[in-house]
Amino acid sequence: MLELYDQIQAAAAAIRQQWDHAPRAGIILGTGLGGFADRIESPVTIDYEKILHFPRSTAVSHRGRLVCGLLEGVPIMAMEGRFHQYEGYPLKQITLPVRVMKALGADLLIVTHAVGGMNPLYVPGDVMIIDDQINLMGDNPLVGINDDRLGPRFPDMSAPYTPELIAVGQEIARKANFPVQRGVMVAVTGPNLETRAEYRFLRMIGADVVGMSTVPEVIVAVHSGMRVFGLSVITDMCLPDSLKPAVVEEIIAIANSAEPKLRTLVLGILAHEKGQG
Amino acid sequence: MQHVAEQIAAAAQAVRERWPDTPRAGIVLGSGLGALAEEIKVDTKIDYADIPNFVKSTALGHKGQLVCGHLEDVPVMAFQGRFHLYEGYSAEQAALPARLTKALGANALIVSNAAGGLNPHYSVGDVMVIEDHINMMFANPLIGVNDDNLGPRFPDMSCPYDHEFMEIAACVARREDFVLHRGVYVAMLGPTYETRAEYRMARRLGGDVAGMSTVPEVIAARHADMRVLGLSTITNVGSPDAPTSTTGHDVLAAAMTASAKLTKIVRGTVASLR
Repeated sequence: MLELYDQIQAAAAAIRQQWDHAPRAGIILGTGLGGFADRIESPVTIDYEKILHFPRSTAVSHRGRLVCGLLEGVPIMAMEGRFHQYEGYPLKQITLPVRVMKALGADLLIVTHAVGGMNPLYVPGDVMIIDDQINLMGDNPLVGINDDRLGPRFPDMSAPYTPELIAVGQEIARKANFPVQRGVMVAVTGPNLETRAEYRFLRMIGADVVGMSTVPEVIVAVHSGMRVFGLSVITDMCLPDSLKPAVVEEIIAIANSAEPKLRTLVLGILAHEKGQG
Repeated sequence: MQHVAEQIAAAAQAVRERWPDTPRAGIVLGSGLGALAEEIKVDTKIDYADIPNFVKSTALGHKGQLVCGHLEDVPVMAFQGRFHLYEGYSAEQAALPARLTKALGANALIVSNAAGGLNPHYSVGDVMVIEDHINMMFANPLIGVNDDNLGPRFPDMSCPYDHEFMEIAACVARREDFVLHRGVYVAMLGPTYETRAEYRMARRLGGDVAGMSTVPEVIAARHADMRVLGLSTITNVGSPDAPTSTTGHDVLAAAMTASAKLTKIVRGTVASLR
């Protein structure tokens, strides 16, 4: 794991050559939320393949580039396209971009992703602020010798998502007059969707939504000492007793329709960050 | 899996050259419980580096040596330092101490660990005798071709922890007047401590404590038809509704306080093997 440090430095140097700013925040844009990057001012776009040690994204609707620039006057770097365990990448590789964000100066990670809703009070198109997570991926990006330069051996996970930012997010939604959920996300490997029995199991263990990403990135962010704000877009309802087959096109369409809420929340959090000085 | 037998044979050979006795029990000492080894009348100490196929233990509070000697006049070997999956070792590597113990002739394995309490009745510094476990590590040391010389393809797990050992532990605790719980250990991969949601999950699944070790060793021991005693020290209490943060050093400090209770139970159990 000790070679990871050098990889992070090399990737950070490659980005700095093209965009010489210190980001305040890193943003990971999930399925269907790629259009969001068009709002970034003075953008500098870097394809993943131009960044040393970055893997390439193969998922549907993920583009695979880094967009650096300003949002709400705050310097940020946004990942358009992320890497998933189901694509065959090891978790250390999936989470490398988060380490690079930290190395460049970001101390806030904003993660967004599409999920299936299991809490029956949710509806498709809802946005959920992630309160907590369950890792059922069967793996952890921190397995291996710990590099103390990157973070502690046993990171505390009692509040992986920054409580203060959760409260700020809820306030933003109230002011903009739309409902926002707050709940627990469970991450599974995928790529197959869950069986009805698996949905019942995941609900029984305490999860409100289920997805195939985000948990590895958040673990690494916590390991790095970053604050985290997470948003799930509920793109379909996974109610085991009235389960319909999932259609990828519909999921992406619903994710796109939720984009205004998501944008309001992300921009609001960045405005809050700016206000904090 | 045939190569596992060769690895164990080589390791056993190296130990036998330094210590000719036949142990009656192997003791795996967990985080902060290494002090138990000081109770042993030592014949020899063998650095893991001198045992073929043993890897270096990188974990906090783990020394990485095998202590061979006598406890309660019973020949025992104590593993000061174990191999964890979160260190990047395979479940098969994590199971090596159990298999080496068996290869040297012992039929009992005593495993101890530091664990987070999920059961609200448990307090920091309490000791729990492991009654059963849940494997949530997404790994099993028996995956691969089965070596029938080591054990059966499908080992029964209806009673992984020996009832007589559990009873001895309970008697010791009553006699010595300290609280001993009896509960279910949930093994997680780590190295992150559990989130609040993960604590709730582990509790709902039936766990009383959660930890990051022990299960691979116990599975291999049961595969080899050994009798197992498992002891957890409650080093922190996971209370998801009033979360507090945990560090590796807090865990070690709590483990030290329970060390005396643990020592008494291990002595009593080993004495039963005379």
